[in-house]
Amino acid sequence: MRRQRGGQWGVLALFLGIVVTATVSTAATPSPKRGGILNAMHREDPPSLSIHEEATISTNWPMMPCYNNLVLFNPLFGQETVNTIVGELAEKWTWQEGGKALAFTLRQGVKWHDGRPFTSRDVKYTFDMVRGVPELASHLKLNPRKGWYANIQSIDAPDPFTVIFRLTQPQPSLLLMLASGYSPIYPAHIDAAELRSRCVGTGPFRLKEYRRGELIEMERNPDYFIKDRPYLDGIRFIIIRERGTRIAALQAGQLDVTMPQEGSKTAAEQLKRAVPSLVVVEAAHNVNDNILVNFKQPPFTDARVRRAVSMAIDRQGFVQAVRQGGAVVGASMQPRPWGSWGLPNDQLAQLPGFGDPTRQRAEARQLLAEAGFGPGKPIRVTVSTRAIALFVDLATYVIDQLKQVGIDGTLEQVDSAQWYAKLTRGEYALAGNLTGIGVDDPDANFYENYVCGSPRNYSQYCNPEIDRMIAQQSQTLDPLQRRRLVYEIQKRLEIDGARPILGWSVDSYVMWPYVKNLVPHQSIYSYARFQEVWLNR
Amino acid sequence: MWPFVARRLTLAALTLVGMSLVIFVLLRLAPGNIVDLLFQSAGYVDPAAKQRIAHELQIDRPVAVQYLLWIRDLAHGDLGISYRYGLPAWQIIRPRIPTTVELATLAMVVAVLIGVPTGILSATHQDTAVDFGLRVFSLAGLSMPAFWLGMVILLFLVREFHWIPSMTYVSPYVDLRAHLVQFAFPALAVGYRSAALISRMTRSSMLEVLREDYVRTAQAKGLPRRIVVNRHALRNALLPIVTVIGTEFAFLIGGLVVTETVFNLPGVARYLVEAITWRDYPIVQNLVMFIAIVVVCSNLAVDLLYARLDPRVRFE
Repeated sequence: MRRQRGGQWGVLALFLGIVVTATVSTAATPSPKRGGILNAMHREDPPSLSIHEEATISTNWPMMPCYNNLVLFNPLFGQETVNTIVGELAEKWTWQEGGKALAFTLRQGVKWHDGRPFTSRDVKYTFDMVRGVPELASHLKLNPRKGWYANIQSIDAPDPFTVIFRLTQPQPSLLLMLASGYSPIYPAHIDAAELRSRCVGTGPFRLKEYRRGELIEMERNPDYFIKDRPYLDGIRFIIIRERGTRIAALQAGQLDVTMPQEGSKTAAEQLKRAVPSLVVVEAAHNVNDNILVNFKQPPFTDARVRRAVSMAIDRQGFVQAVRQGGAVVGASMQPRPWGSWGLPNDQLAQLPGFGDPTRQRAEARQLLAEAGFGPGKPIRVTVSTRAIALFVDLATYVIDQLKQVGIDGTLEQVDSAQWYAKLTRGEYALAGNLTGIGVDDPDANFYENYVCGSPRNYSQYCNPEIDRMIAQQSQTLDPLQRRRLVYEIQKRLEIDGARPILGWSVDSYVMWPYVKNLVPHQSIYSYARFQEVWLNR
Repeated sequence: MWPFVARRLTLAALTLVGMSLVIFVLLRLAPGNIVDLLFQSAGYVDPAAKQRIAHELQIDRPVAVQYLLWIRDLAHGDLGISYRYGLPAWQIIRPRIPTTVELATLAMVVAVLIGVPTGILSATHQDTAVDFGLRVFSLAGLSMPAFWLGMVILLFLVREFHWIPSMTYVSPYVDLRAHLVQFAFPALAVGYRSAALISRMTRSSMLEVLREDYVRTAQAKGLPRRIVVNRHALRNALLPIVTVIGTEFAFLIGGLVVTETVFNLPGVARYLVEAITWRDYPIVQNLVMFIAIVVVCSNLAVDLLYARLDPRVRFE
């Protein structure tokens, strides 16, 4: 009896504790204020304003506020997982037919910026266009994410507020790809070509003015379907080409926030020293530094040579020397704590290239000797990379590391205009490269970069067994079982030397303390809706 | 005079035709084209789509045909469509011209206001402390690249005053004071180098003239030094100075690239680099032609000014 009463007191104390904590935290966190213009950094003119036709943050960052997705990763949570997905144009969604159909119930009363009503027709049009349905009148000029939707068999719109995605195979990742900033809904009544230079969305902000090379200005959408959102009156994306000027503008208060991918650790430290009140948030990019080894070009046709290359490179040394500590080591999925699928450290340490550097180099020399190479017969190889400082630093480090195991590398800098064409044609032996991944999800990564015949599988790595495992994990509905498979795939990819990963960049995101609710995510492409952002000036 | 002008205009036209050929060919010798860059930016390559876009933009046609099409359109006042933006090239270039012309003009005003007086002072006080000081000042101006000076100015302002000029263009019709402040610092950064050049040219030209017999005669006649220097010496020393000012102005129009970038001014020069990066041929070709026309016109203007400044110069 006493024990029971004690239990009651305990529950009461817990309840009071929660109430007090909630009250205190409410008092500590000021409630959001309406109004104000956010001045956001932008580094360049976007190639176009059409998110579906581009694969760069330069388009996503200023254009995401104009659109909505069906679903989106919660802007207030830094880590994007299936559990942080919230509805935008979709009110609810359900998996049906054993995971082979995904049905969305859409919001009613939503209007496009031109006043036309939003319906299921717009959703069907958007994704039919992205997956390249030939009968459609409107086509995308460039379509970098067509592969994301290859598993969609058909899209049905039985009524104006219901959409059903029918799949060839179950694919839990589809929901994550739909939640990416790369998956906005386009208006069916406007030709996609027009959206390269203007914006008609349903989003919290409308395009007010675009002065090319200078400014992209957004204004609050007064008809936004969420009452009292957005908080801001507008956003000015100020385009500043020169990095030093961008930093000076941030320091002088002409900019309120940096742009994703533009916050180097060194610059953030300098800014913090100059203005201690600035807020620096460490966040990952979902961009990795890697080496492409051409599987079709001798001597890299020999698995021992490929593995020797991977083992020759000290990853921790790379993080410190090349990225000045602004990166973390990991395998083919974004490492923890940023990513959700990264290999645990104990498993990572057992992979080629991730152990003790001295021992690894000795093993690498041994492997090369077994393959018939050594001091008397060194491998001479050209290491290609893009003629951009970030890439050249990486390739230079690789050359230095290879030299220590007896591989003589020569640097070849390739103009950006030629880079991907050269990789696609397989006209290289070794290459220093950076790979950005749209969503922290195995499907988005593996299908794009590792399966046989994928256009972005530049190393031409092809392992049918791995393809089978990739397909298997894609269809696995049990999260734990899928995670185990994804770990196994990552290990196999590193052992095969498919694309040795050197490190994963970490951004030092800088903003003024009065900017609230702008939470960087582990992928840079999905948090620029600005719907929840407010200014506490 | 008119035959001279006609001859110069013919030469100018020929120069422009030559320039058009050089620009056209050089641009196409650079590796890659807009289609390569579009796919590079999108991070994938689709050969069929590449071919289709290249065909739409007509860059798959023979270079000679492309050149003739450009010249034909140019003759009709059509600058073509920007590959990158899909908008008429003139619509993109036109708003940028006033910014660059204004910056170059202000820089030249700064250069002349600083360069000519310091040059005269240096010459009239030859080998004194003033002369040495001004020579160091001008040598420093020649040695410092404008972009470096621009960045130093920006960093100084932000460090000492927590302020920098506006990073978005301020129209003079909206706020004249803010507009002038925005242009003052880049004009100073660019003008300093030109001022140094003009100062050195003024000094050497003045020193030469000051040793002439007629100057000595004017001094012997008891004319005040101010009149001897300003009326007799300076006017005759002006010819080489005017030449330098003319060529510097022409140089500035194309040479403001980095300063416009550092101060984030939306001018022609900065945009030219972006257009080259994107291989946006219609923009690059027409912008370079614009710069070539400015150079040719300013040289012509300098030649015509000669006669006005020195009656001994005859066009025949």
